[in-house]
Amino acid sequence: MKRSTHASAATPAATAPQAATRNTGRTATPVATSAENQAAASAATPAEDRSATQTAAPVTAPAENRTATQTAAPAGESGKSAPAAASAPRRAPRPIVQEAIGIAEAESVVLGNGIKLYLLASDDFEILRLSIVFHAGSSTQRVPFSASATANLLAEGSERMSAHEIAERLDYHGSYFDVNTDRDDTYINFAMLSKFVVPTLDVAAEILLRPAFPEEAVATYCAKRRQRLRIDRTKVDVRAREAFAEAIFGERHPYGECFDESAYDRLRREDLRDFYRRRYTAANGFAVCSGRVGETERAAVIALLEQLPAAEPPARVPFPEPRQTRERRIPHAGAVQSAIRIGRLLFPREHPDFLGMQVVAAALGGYFGSRLMQNLRERNGYTYGVMAAMVNFEREGYFAIGAQVGAEVTEAALAEIYAEIERLREEPISDEELQLVKNIMTGEMMRILDGPFGVADVTIENILCGRTNRVIGENVERIRRITSSEVQRLAQRYLAREKLVTVVVGAV
Amino acid sequence: MIPYRTRILDNGLHVVVNRDRVSKLAAVNLLYRVGARNEDPDRTGFAHLFEHLMFRGTRDVPVYDLHVQMASGEDNAFTNNDYTDFYLTLPTANLETALWLESDRMQGLQITPEKLRAEQRVVIEEFRQRYLNQPYGDQTMLLRELAYRRHPYRWATIGRSPEHIESATIADVERFYRTFYRPSNAVLSISADLEEERMLDLAEQWFGPLADTPFTAAPLPAEPLQTEALLRIVERDVPATTLSVAWHMGARCSADFYTGDLVSDLLAGGDSSRLYRRLVMKERLFSSVNAYITGDVDPGLFILTGQLLPDTTEEQAADAFRREIGTLQHEAASGYELEKVKNKFEANTLFGEINVMNKAMNLGYYDFLGDTELVNREVAEYRSIDADRIFDFCRRTFRPENGSTLIYRARR
Repeated sequence: MKRSTHASAATPAATAPQAATRNTGRTATPVATSAENQAAASAATPAEDRSATQTAAPVTAPAENRTATQTAAPAGESGKSAPAAASAPRRAPRPIVQEAIGIAEAESVVLGNGIKLYLLASDDFEILRLSIVFHAGSSTQRVPFSASATANLLAEGSERMSAHEIAERLDYHGSYFDVNTDRDDTYINFAMLSKFVVPTLDVAAEILLRPAFPEEAVATYCAKRRQRLRIDRTKVDVRAREAFAEAIFGERHPYGECFDESAYDRLRREDLRDFYRRRYTAANGFAVCSGRVGETERAAVIALLEQLPAAEPPARVPFPEPRQTRERRIPHAGAVQSAIRIGRLLFPREHPDFLGMQVVAAALGGYFGSRLMQNLRERNGYTYGVMAAMVNFEREGYFAIGAQVGAEVTEAALAEIYAEIERLREEPISDEELQLVKNIMTGEMMRILDGPFGVADVTIENILCGRTNRVIGENVERIRRITSSEVQRLAQRYLAREKLVTVVVGAV
Repeated sequence: MIPYRTRILDNGLHVVVNRDRVSKLAAVNLLYRVGARNEDPDRTGFAHLFEHLMFRGTRDVPVYDLHVQMASGEDNAFTNNDYTDFYLTLPTANLETALWLESDRMQGLQITPEKLRAEQRVVIEEFRQRYLNQPYGDQTMLLRELAYRRHPYRWATIGRSPEHIESATIADVERFYRTFYRPSNAVLSISADLEEERMLDLAEQWFGPLADTPFTAAPLPAEPLQTEALLRIVERDVPATTLSVAWHMGARCSADFYTGDLVSDLLAGGDSSRLYRRLVMKERLFSSVNAYITGDVDPGLFILTGQLLPDTTEEQAADAFRREIGTLQHEAASGYELEKVKNKFEANTLFGEINVMNKAMNLGYYDFLGDTELVNREVAEYRSIDADRIFDFCRRTFRPENGSTLIYRARR
């Protein structure tokens, strides 16, 4: 399965197609996480960096009821005269708009130690995924890099099994283990075939409950990560992402700070053990199990989770006030492209205007035909891709536009981005364009929800926001009701030029 | 296991459909048998540029994306050395929107000089973003250039230089479109929760009326047998040196393909793999290592690559690779180790089948290979490999005179 050419989109271990693609892929996001947090890729994507890629946020709906009603669609035959070439039936089919989408509510159980387990059973696939989410992101760490290092070293040996044995047993059963740490949380996923649930969970117990963080593994890890971070920071995009986080939150803020590579040299085994002991407890997390969940699977998962120590939930650490810097321009030697970030700190998902701002972001840069893509890419050829999104953290949220543009057109691209923002503030968006944006957002939600793992990811995101899966349907409904004047009001209120932060890395 | 049905329309279009009983989405994939391999050596990068142009509008549908998006769909495409693939997902009820759009742009494309110029600029930015402005961005290009002398695999899909992309003309665009974008040069595949018969009929309805002008692509120059070890050293402003070795191996449909795939898994398939365990964790020579096969249709490459830690010399790294190769050639892998990589292969295949887009894409790809059923036979093919076949493969493939070494040296 180690092949480079054939693009296989979503295998758990998807190796990125080396082929040249039409766009950067919706994965390139102007996201929050610093380079250190990009966890070792592999298995079934976790709920990742709650954010950007997914234009439509957890939206979904009361189950059932797939009433697909037709809305007025542009269509019919286009006015131009019929082509001479042999023509297929050229009448455009009418697109049907899915007006309600929904996912089932997860069944939840509180276990003896207090941890909550959410179950999403679907018998259509002979696979199972168990995700455990701890409130153990980088903003909760006391020592630089200790949050991601703890997560990334969980499988490097337990009290009973060596790292090698753990890897062997997982690989032997074709099971996947992966972790991801963002600013707020750490996500731990085990994906397995139904026929190998028991042996996989045996190994999961070692990883989750008894990690040893051996001295030598810590040293090797630090050396490797240090090197990787150095390489990552030679990329304009990574530097812009880090500089933008610093610019909107401040260098001392847990959501903004970036650490020097050399901090890896000071990271000790004790730091990881301490972080693990404080944060990997039943009181500080929850679990979501999806796929084929029969009695056997359920019992095995519960037996595993019940062994997590109960403990008191860790105290909530107060954050300093964010301190915003209006503009940062960082030269980057030899760059043929500049990386741009424009945005500002706004509010987290609970805010009544968050969803509306997602619509604003989508119209600007949330899809292929968005205004920024049309302008910067299609019309001017300044960039291979540009996007805009609302990014949500537990305690804050922000709006961001991100792009990499030709070094020689850096200023022109900045001017066009500001102009597109102004246009949204000055002129109401047409009903047709707004309808398009809404349809995109609904479709995006359907795609995220496709397959048992997608449903689990959305459920996790909803739980983190303190919501049930019903919110998906409510959000779809709310998006559907947003009007053109509402979009304009939000753009006027939140995207005033003098409030925007601009970061440029490259030709400045 | 992906159940499917096929039909070949009168105009030569291959159609493959799969009924998925769970998803609310329909996935449509349209593969054209044209890639960077079909390019003129002095106009490389053209197949990929053309893929971009396919989104620039037709006589009847000036803005392709608009209709996909109005139908709550999402589309994209990619090009590699062998083929060009267009794919989209949308709510099942809107399947016909996809078929309408794809059949329309198979013959109605309308490219003006302005559209071509704008797209050339986009692709050049892509070239810069992914290959020039990235540490190690040109590494695989250099390796291809070193390993192949005549076959068009010697250049990467993006092309040999931005100048090639700049030089494309409207006449090139028209000729390429006429030559390669035709029903009999394409495979349409669909996965959705609809009766298979219904999907086949819809394909017939939308694509059946398209005319076809058969054409036979010019034969490609065969790659001459390599007879001596090749070495190239480049210096770049990167933080760490990497060492890569490429060996020629068999074609996609040869038995060698699966053996090469399995050997790459023994070496680098996960954290329990040989290279990771020994060279990264135990000996700490590399910060990362990888082994993979290019998987091209014509004879491809087996590649071994690793990034050196600061204290590792290039000789130590090369020695470590040689040791691992020697082990493969002289010691049989245990039954346990073989079972492990085979289980993993099977699991990967299963995880890949939970998604309609993956299924449609895979069906199209295997049909393109000329053996649709292979999509369901691969696990068995892979399972059938034994120790003798591995010895045979490793002894034939990993000979010094069959290898090309690239040292991508960090400038001090």
